[in-house]
Amino acid sequence: MRTRWGQRAGWLFLLPVILLGPTWLATGRAEEQPADQQAQRLLASRCAVCHSTDLIQQQRLPRDRWEATVDKMVHWGAQLDKEEAALLTAFLATYFHPEAGPVVTLPAAPSIQADQAGRESGTAPAPGGAAARGAALYKQNCLACHGEAGSGGVGPKLAHNPILAQADRFRTTVSQGRGAMPPWGAVLRPQEIADIHAWLNTLRD
Amino acid sequence: MTNHEGPGITRRRLLAGAAGGLALALTGGRLRSPAEAADPGLGTPPTDQPLRTHVARPLDAETPPQVFTQYLTPNDRFFVRSHFGPPAPDLVAPSVWRLSVAGSVERPLRLTLNDLSTFDEITVTAVVQCSGNGRAFHRPKAPGVQWEKGAAGNASWTGVRLRDVLQRAGLTARARHLQLQGADRPVAASVPLFTRSIPIEKALHPDTILATRMNGAPLPLLHGAPLRLITPGWMADSCVKWLTNLTVQEEEAGGYYMQTAYRYPSRPVKPGEVIAPQDLKPVEAMVVKSLIAAPQQGAILASGAVMVQGVAWTGEGRIEKVEVSTDEGRTWEQARLVGDEAPYAWRQWRFLWRTGGSGRRTILCRATDDRGQVQPMASPWNPGGFLWNGWDHVQVQVREA
Ligand code: HEC
Ligand code: HEC
Repeated sequence: MRTRWGQRAGWLFLLPVILLGPTWLATGRAEEQPADQQAQRLLASRCAVCHSTDLIQQQRLPRDRWEATVDKMVHWGAQLDKEEAALLTAFLATYFHPEAGPVVTLPAAPSIQADQAGRESGTAPAPGGAAARGAALYKQNCLACHGEAGSGGVGPKLAHNPILAQADRFRTTVSQGRGAMPPWGAVLRPQEIADIHAWLNTLRD
Repeated sequence: MTNHEGPGITRRRLLAGAAGGLALALTGGRLRSPAEAADPGLGTPPTDQPLRTHVARPLDAETPPQVFTQYLTPNDRFFVRSHFGPPAPDLVAPSVWRLSVAGSVERPLRLTLNDLSTFDEITVTAVVQCSGNGRAFHRPKAPGVQWEKGAAGNASWTGVRLRDVLQRAGLTARARHLQLQGADRPVAASVPLFTRSIPIEKALHPDTILATRMNGAPLPLLHGAPLRLITPGWMADSCVKWLTNLTVQEEEAGGYYMQTAYRYPSRPVKPGEVIAPQDLKPVEAMVVKSLIAAPQQGAILASGAVMVQGVAWTGEGRIEKVEVSTDEGRTWEQARLVGDEAPYAWRQWRFLWRTGGSGRRTILCRATDDRGQVQPMASPWNPGGFLWNGWDHVQVQVREA
């Protein structure tokens, strides 16, 4: 709806304003570049630790501002070596530059092992397809800290974690947060937390 | 409000907007609007009242402008700005929470919520607005959360005067600034804390309050429970949430969030210009601003009489007038100021618009305050993208009735 207005707005000469919130589409249209794939992996695994990546995608900055931003994040604790920082900066400056417009089309997002694990455990219970939804939700919200396929990282290993056997404790821990883990109650519905739980239960070692 | 869409349509549209803002994931995984969250303890909005999310974690979400048809912005539709997100609820539970008053004081204090309730109670209705509200409209674009119109709201805040608490502690002659620290913590210890300070004059102003209630209800966790500073007339970078430590000192607070972020050039600057630190001052008072609350962006209206309504406010003065233009800024007509007038609150306004014939139309508004500040067409660029107060605008489609 907002797009329609933005595209036709002939009155835009009047005010230097935008009507559109920037969006990001991960489609397969653009050609796949290994560097782009790696950059997207870095965004998910190194940047999303402190904030979701929507904060990054809504920026439209020239290269020097991206350099300064990535520098600042590394200074604050983002785990990137020099090479990775350069690769990520180049990616951000290529896709999220000032003229990029409100919708940015990216190469297809990299597939992750977690998907694999979900598919392989074909016999595991997946009530109402909830585990499949859980896989995507996990990727977006939990992977950065708990690692691919729940293998652990900043946060503890979740695959085969005893807490999985206690659905209630799992739900309250996730919803209220604990220690360095943010509370998810404002972001995820109980059903979605249950979906993630279902998916974690499908994981093998 | 005959020109409004039905609530059902409105809601679907809002949800679509919220989903748009959230469907930004690397992986296409879906987050939902915080509005659908179920846990009332987190002060999250009920399903039919969404905010528009810019950042899912920590949550940054703005109020859809049509909510501003109400004088008081409901708690569950009030914008949320988080640097690190709320502290774990058990860290700010009444049994463990304390307010420490220390530094250049004669008697350092450690107050419980019960102790605080022994001070005189005061209620102030005030606009709270994120310094970056409207950042998305600055050109060139400034880094930060790309807020559009809704990182502002008007609420009644109840609590005690900060002045009374400071006087019980007793200020020494060296008291110049009050440093503020909340209980929120970043994920990694290497990230600077959100430490702020305000000049002692603002701290001692009788309308500056330590708020425990918002619109009559206990302060929700997302809005700073159990205690939040409210600095009426000033931007919300001073309205520290989850407040635990007040430190009276001679200097401004150090650190990133006071010395680098939330600063504004004290002289006109060109976009991209390098600005010397001494030319950057903390963002403090609000600037004059008005918004259109109805009709909504993209509304389809029957030609004839349409009630345009909105709100207007300014920092430390009064709103003198609000003007509306429906010919792209060539001519302006005065709107009618209606409803309550209170010092730091916003003023509601109405304008009866005779639409004339059909077609795409733009409604603009601008406010003027008693100090002669007029909303500009566009606000001056500044590196942080702060204090946007350009004319507000809404495009509608007028159809033959
Ligand atoms: C150690 C924690 C941490 C990590 C990891 C991190 N950030 Fe940030 N980032 C922050 C904080 C804190 C802010 C400021 C949040 C605020 O004040 O609202 C921020 C803000 C931002 C902003 C908004 C603009 C600004 O300067 O405030 C962008 C863009 C950004 N980060 C990009 C990134 C990128 C890209 C990465 C991965 C290389 C990353 N961040 C990783 C902590 C982090
Ligand atoms: C910012 C990093 C971070 C993110 C993102 C994160 N977690 Fe955590 N999580 C942690 C940390 C750190 C802990 C350990 C907390 C503690 O006990 O101090 C933890 C603990 C947990 C626990 C308890 C494990 C146990 O052994 O008892 C569960 C369950 C959990 N997280 C699930 C999730 C889920 C589900 C998500 C996604 C919705 C998620 N986490 C996202 C950091 C994170």
